[in-house]
Amino acid sequence: MSIRRNPVLRESSHLLIPAILLFALYVQFHGDYGPGGGFQAGVIFASAIILYALLHGTRRAEKIIPLKLARTFAALGILIYSFTGILGIILGGNFLNYNVLAHDPIHGQHWGILLIELGVGITVGSVIISIFYAFAKFKK
Amino acid sequence: MITTALIAIMVVMVIVLLRAWLGPSLYDRVLAINTFGTATVLAIAILGFYMQRPAFMDIAIVYSLINFIGTVAVLKLYRFDSLGHREEEKS
Repeated sequence: MSIRRNPVLRESSHLLIPAILLFALYVQFHGDYGPGGGFQAGVIFASAIILYALLHGTRRAEKIIPLKLARTFAALGILIYSFTGILGIILGGNFLNYNVLAHDPIHGQHWGILLIELGVGITVGSVIISIFYAFAKFKK
Repeated sequence: MITTALIAIMVVMVIVLLRAWLGPSLYDRVLAINTFGTATVLAIAILGFYMQRPAFMDIAIVYSLINFIGTVAVLKLYRFDSLGHREEEKS
């Protein structure tokens, strides 16, 4: 019997996957005030995709997030990170200096932390998804 | 009161670990690890209440989600010898 035919697992996972995705976004954007941040949000987001891939197989999961897309997003996150850092140099501060990103230093720090954590979250989520694909497609 | 609950959960964890160690079949061990995760979630929630940190509830939710996914992954690996394939053709 295939794992998809198991009704309890299928329905409970279909209830859980949107909740996990929403929780990942909560951890991502509420990370300044509570526990969490980019790394944790990326891992939680990837775990939702992993649950889908466990249930339906990597072939259907790769229709949602192909391996190429995951690799592109892994590079994109690092680009966002380093772009934010170099933007601090361009605007007249040090590397990763958030104070100069806006007129008010505190606003600048908010923007800087938001962008940095976004880059970290995108990279970590995509890398963990591609690591899972590499393990799951391994055949004995 | 809270200390009593924490000690009770610790006792449950020790018993469950014994089952995971001794368990004759793999299903006993998987069930024991899953129950250990549930006990950890309860311990985290009680610790958050004790230390006046409501943010611990987020960690407890994440722990229970990861626990569920990990159990599903171990069972699928044991049943189908693979994590990713649709095993329509096999069995």
